[in-house]
Amino acid sequence: MSAVPAPARGSLGPWLLLAPLMVFLAVFFVVPLAQVAVMSVSDPEWGLGHYAEIATDGFHLRVLADTFFTALVVSFCCLLLGFPLAYAMAAASPGWAAVMMVVVTMSFWTSFLVRTYAWMVLLGTRGPIARVVEWLGFATPELLFTRFSSTVAMTHILLPYMVLSLYGVLKRIEPSLPRSAASLGATPSSVIRHVVLPLAAPGIVNGLTLVFVLCLGFYVTPILLGSPREQMVAGVIGQQVEEFLAFGEASAMAVVLLASTLVVLGLYHRRFGLDRLWG
Amino acid sequence: MRLALILLGAVVLAFVATPLLIVVPMSFSTAVSLEFPPPGWWTGYYAAYFGDARWTKPTLNSLGIAAAVAVLTVALVTPATFAVVRHRFVGKGLVNLALMLPLAVPHIVMAIGYYAFLADIQLLQTFPGIILAHTALSVPMAFLVLSANLKGFDRGLERAALSLGASPARTFLHVTLPVLWPGFAAAALFAFVQSFDETVVALFISGRDTETLPRKMFDSIRTTADPVIAVVSTLLFFAVAVLVIVPVLWRAASRRRLEPRP
Amino acid sequence: MTKPYLELQGLSKSYDGRTRALDGVDLTAAKGEFITFLGPSGSGKTTTLMLIAGFEAASAGEILVDGAPITHVPPHKRGIGIVFQNYALFPHRTALGNVMFPLEMRKVPKTQAVEKARAMLALVGLERLAERHPREMSGGQQQRVALARALVFDPALLLLDEPLGALDKNLREQLQIEIKRIQRSLGVTTIFVTHDQSEAMAMSDRIVVFKGGRIQQAGTPLEIYNRPVNDFVARFVGDSNLLPLLLTDPTAGIGEIAGIGPVRVPAQPGRKAGEAATLLLRPEGLGLAGEGAINTCRMQVETVVHYGDSALLVGHAGQTALRARLPGLVAQGITSNMEIVLSWNPASAHLMPAVMRDGFQNS
Repeated sequence: MSAVPAPARGSLGPWLLLAPLMVFLAVFFVVPLAQVAVMSVSDPEWGLGHYAEIATDGFHLRVLADTFFTALVVSFCCLLLGFPLAYAMAAASPGWAAVMMVVVTMSFWTSFLVRTYAWMVLLGTRGPIARVVEWLGFATPELLFTRFSSTVAMTHILLPYMVLSLYGVLKRIEPSLPRSAASLGATPSSVIRHVVLPLAAPGIVNGLTLVFVLCLGFYVTPILLGSPREQMVAGVIGQQVEEFLAFGEASAMAVVLLASTLVVLGLYHRRFGLDRLWG
Repeated sequence: MRLALILLGAVVLAFVATPLLIVVPMSFSTAVSLEFPPPGWWTGYYAAYFGDARWTKPTLNSLGIAAAVAVLTVALVTPATFAVVRHRFVGKGLVNLALMLPLAVPHIVMAIGYYAFLADIQLLQTFPGIILAHTALSVPMAFLVLSANLKGFDRGLERAALSLGASPARTFLHVTLPVLWPGFAAAALFAFVQSFDETVVALFISGRDTETLPRKMFDSIRTTADPVIAVVSTLLFFAVAVLVIVPVLWRAASRRRLEPRP
Repeated sequence: MTKPYLELQGLSKSYDGRTRALDGVDLTAAKGEFITFLGPSGSGKTTTLMLIAGFEAASAGEILVDGAPITHVPPHKRGIGIVFQNYALFPHRTALGNVMFPLEMRKVPKTQAVEKARAMLALVGLERLAERHPREMSGGQQQRVALARALVFDPALLLLDEPLGALDKNLREQLQIEIKRIQRSLGVTTIFVTHDQSEAMAMSDRIVVFKGGRIQQAGTPLEIYNRPVNDFVARFVGDSNLLPLLLTDPTAGIGEIAGIGPVRVPAQPGRKAGEAATLLLRPEGLGLAGEGAINTCRMQVETVVHYGDSALLVGHAGQTALRARLPGLVAQGITSNMEIVLSWNPASAHLMPAVMRDGFQNS
C-alpha cells in the first residue's frame, strides 16, 4: 500500500524518476557498447571479415577454447573448495562463523591487483612455496607465468563469490530438516547427500554461473601471471588494441566474448530467472 | 563426513587468508624484487611511496574520481530505485534487466568501447571521462544495494508520519531519508570501491596526468615488480580491513548496549 | 440521540472493480465513545479503518467527522491519531522525539512541544524512558509510546489497528485496561479493531461485528452477546448452542426441538404456527434440572472438560448436539457416558431466524 494513494496506471511519475538514469546509461553505456559492435564490422573496412577470420583462424578458436576450458576448471575448483568452506561457516558457532565471514569478505573486497600480486609472491622462484620445495631437495619449481599460476590465482580471486552464494542457501536451510532426516534413519553423509546438497543446488548453480561468467572476461590476472603463450580472450583483445591498434579485430573478439557471456546468462535466465542471480 | 567437510573448510579458509596476509610483511622487506621470506626489514619503501609523486598523484586521482563517482551514482540511482520499487508500470521487468546489464558485460569489452567513444567526444584521458565511465559501471551494484534497502523499508513509518500531520514531502525528509541513510551510504560505498579498484577500463582511458592507482600498480607489476606495490597493497588491505571489521564490531557492541531493559 | 460525532454513510470499497471489500457500511458514533470493530480477517474491519484514516480511497460513500465530510481530505490533514499493529515508531528518534513529531509538524514552539510530549509520556507511565530509542524498549513500552504519540496532538479520533496482537496474554490484559483508562480520561472518540472477541467484550462501549464487507450487528457488548441477530454473530462471540426449533404455538411461546421435546420460549405474537426458528442457548444457561423445572432435556454426556472453576460438557440430546457449562462444584461427579437432566430459564434463551439446512441463513 502506498503512503499516498497510488498513481493511476500509465502515469508519468515513475518514468520521470527513471529518466535521468536511463538517459545516462543510454549515452554512457549503450553507445560505447554499440560502437564496439560497429567497429567489429567497420574497421578498417565494412564487412564481416573479422568474424570470418575468428571462425576459421586456428589462433582465435584456440584462444576461445582455452578461455572456456579455463573458466570451467576455475568454476569447478571454486565449487570444490567453496562448498566445504561455506558448509563450515554455516555449521560453525556464531563467533567462528563471524571470523570466517570476515576473512571471506575481506578477500571479496580486496582488489584483484593486490591478490594477483600476492600470488606472484607466493608462487615466485624466491617465494615460500619454492623455498619449501628446494628445502625438500627438489629443483626450484617454475610456477609463475603458467596456466597453473593463472588458474590458481583466479580460483582464489573468484572463490568468495562462490562461498557467499553457497553460504546464502546453506544458511537458509531450516535446522529441523537435517534433524528430521536423521530421526528418520539417515546417516550424516546421507543427510548431506539427500537433504543438504539438493537444497543447496540453487546456490551451486548461481555460484558456478557467476564465477564462470566472471572468469570468461578476466583480464588482469591472466596477463600478469598467466602464460604469454596461452592467453585468454580478454588479454588477446587488449593486446590487439594496445600493440596493434587493431580495433576491428579486437572488437570482433569482444563481441564474441560478450555473446558467449550473454548466452550463458540467457541460459540461466531461461531456466531460473536472472533476478535470482543477484539474490 | 561432516567432520571431514569442516576440516576441509578450515584448510580452504587458510587458502583464502594466506595471500591476503602475505603482502603485509612484503611491504617491510628490504628486497629489491619478489622474495619471501624477506631478507631484511625496513620502512624504506613506505617512505618511497609517500614521497614519490609518481605514486601519490595516482592515489589522489583515484580518491577524487571515486568520490565523484559515488556521488554521481547515488544521485542517478536514487530516483530510479524509488520508481522501480514503489511503482507499478508496464516494462518494469525490462527496466530491471536493463539496469543490471552493465554487470554482464566484461570490462575489457567496455574498455575498448569507452576508448573509442571518449576519443570521439574529446574526453579521453580526462577526469570527467573516467568518472562518467566508472559511474555507468557502478550503477548496477548501487541499484541492487539501494533497492534491497528500500524494499525492506517499513512503509508503515510513512503512514504513521502522514497520520501525524506530515505532508508527503516532509515525510520523505523527516522519516524516509533518515531511516534509509545506511542504504545510501552502502550504495555510495560500493560505487566508491568499484571505481577506486577498477583496473581494466582505467588502463585504456586514463592518461599520464589522469592516471589512476590501479593503472599505476598494473604497469608497475608488469614492468618492474616495484616493491612499493607491496606498500600500496598493504595500505589497501588495511583500508579494506577497516571497512569490513568496523561494522561488525559496531553491530556487536550495539547489540550488547541496546538490550531491552526493564 | 446526541448528535453523531463520526458518521459513515454507505461506505464501499472495491480494489479490482468486481469484488467488494466493503459493501455499503453505515455507522454513527457519539463523541467519546469506544467502539470496537470485530470480525474475522477479510471481513472489512481493517479496510474501514484505512478509509477513515485516509490511506485508502472509498469507492463510494462519505465519512463525516463532527458534521464535516473528510472523505476527500488527504491523510496528513485529517488530524486522526493512529496506533498501528507494529507500532511504526520512528527508529531514528527517541521516545520523546517520536511523541514530539506531530507537534513539530504543527509548528508548536519547541518548549511547549517538549512539555506536552513529556506530559503525554507521563500519562502512559513512560516518563523515565523519554530518551530511549524504540529498539531499546519492550513491545509493551513501544505500544504505549505509539499511543502517546497518537494522542499528544488532541486528535479528533483515535484509531487502533489490532495494537495488542503481538503481546502475551498478561501484557495484553494490562494494556487493555490502560488504553481504556486513558481513553476515558481524555474523552477521545476511539475505534479499536480486533479479531479477539473477549478483548472486544472487555473494552467496548459498542461492538460492531463485520463479515464479508458488511456490518452484521452493532450494539453494546451485552446486546451482542445475549441478542445476536444471526448465527454468525452468535457463534463469533462466545460459545453457543444453536438449536433448530419449530414454533408450535407462537402466541403462547411454545416450540419444539428435536431430541428435547416441547420447550417454552419468549412469546412471538406476530408469527405463525409451524414457522422455523433457531434457539440460541449459551452453554452457561444450562443447569442441572431441579424439582418442577421447565425446559428440561436429557443429555448424553460424551466428554467432560474440567477447568476447575467450571466444567464444559459436550454431548447430545437425541440427535441434537449440545454443550453445557456448569459450575465446578456442581459438575464434580459428572463423567463421560453419563446421562443427566438439564434445564434452562426461557428468558435466558434467544430466538433467532432459522438456519437453513445447507447452513445458510435468512437474514
